[in-house]
Amino acid sequence: MTATTSALTDEVRAMIGVTGDKVEASLLGIEREGLRRFTQAIMDPDPRYWDDAFAKSTRYGGIVTPPIYCTYLGRKTPAGADDPVSRAFLENPNCDGVAGIEDSGVGALPLVPTNLRRSLNGGNEIEVYKYPMLGDRIFSQAKYADIAEKIGKDGKPFLIITTEVIYTDQDGAELCILRQVRLRR
Amino acid sequence: MLSADELRNKTQLYFDDLELQQEMTALVIGPLTTTHIFRWSAAIENWGRIHYDQNFAIYHEGLPNILGHGSWKQSILPRYLKDICLPDGWMWKVSFQHRAMIVPGDTITCWAKVTSKSTQDGLGLIGLDVGMLLQTGVETCPGKATIVLPIRGGRAVPYPFVRPKNA
Repeated sequence: MTATTSALTDEVRAMIGVTGDKVEASLLGIEREGLRRFTQAIMDPDPRYWDDAFAKSTRYGGIVTPPIYCTYLGRKTPAGADDPVSRAFLENPNCDGVAGIEDSGVGALPLVPTNLRRSLNGGNEIEVYKYPMLGDRIFSQAKYADIAEKIGKDGKPFLIITTEVIYTDQDGAELCILRQVRLRR
Repeated sequence: MLSADELRNKTQLYFDDLELQQEMTALVIGPLTTTHIFRWSAAIENWGRIHYDQNFAIYHEGLPNILGHGSWKQSILPRYLKDICLPDGWMWKVSFQHRAMIVPGDTITCWAKVTSKSTQDGLGLIGLDVGMLLQTGVETCPGKATIVLPIRGGRAVPYPFVRPKNA
């Protein structure tokens, strides 16, 4: 019988609690055009997202966004930036549209030092506290909230990595928390 | 699906109104088309080709078709629960797993069922089992949620929302 080597090494364990830089997650702040496109894409006709007079009469006091809208703002390419799509396809004509395009690296967490390469989405947890309003700026900060180990049915260890991103506005008010669990096998 | 006017005029659901095992009104979305899926890609600037390039999805990635996004599903459940809570309740927490793929032609039914009721700090907390069923009966996004509803005669649900003590 062969002893199983733990994947939860001291180096991996040391990543728990490691926190990235707090970065601005919105290029333009909360603005109407982005909000219009987003709410159409989730097929939500709620007038709280577009009717100024009605929104002002609600408990929010003005136009707000859907619950986790602010978590999607970090992907956008700034005007004047090198075109990441053209660059990625020049480097790899079979680019999948993701590699080399989406991750600017700003505010990103350091990689977990493991040889386990296969990454699976283990689920999401969301907490919501406040909706951003038009003109608000959005900030995010990521950390490794937890890293645990389990043994798979094949007898091999795998890691359960929970990343937590906290989104805040320009006043530091907590908007929402997004946790993603990834399995590394 | 509630219209803009129905959302504008929605009457409040109270903690007192719900019973254990009660099923909430479902939200049906679909059939989804390639265009719906691409619209999400464009809205969030997700250029992953498996979501809009059918040749790439099928012949390069070996998928049955282009795929709906996990990130879209991630926004649909909070959107559904938000509607249930309007106008003055709060969609506080939701967790879920990504299971079956969504492809063009699929119709999704968001559902929720009451599994617990408790009061904390004068607020009514409703625990829910939630999910997104495909038209085939396959569950694509099983999860759990906590919504906060006002109690008749009780205090207002705070906004911005504040975690209840000991919750």
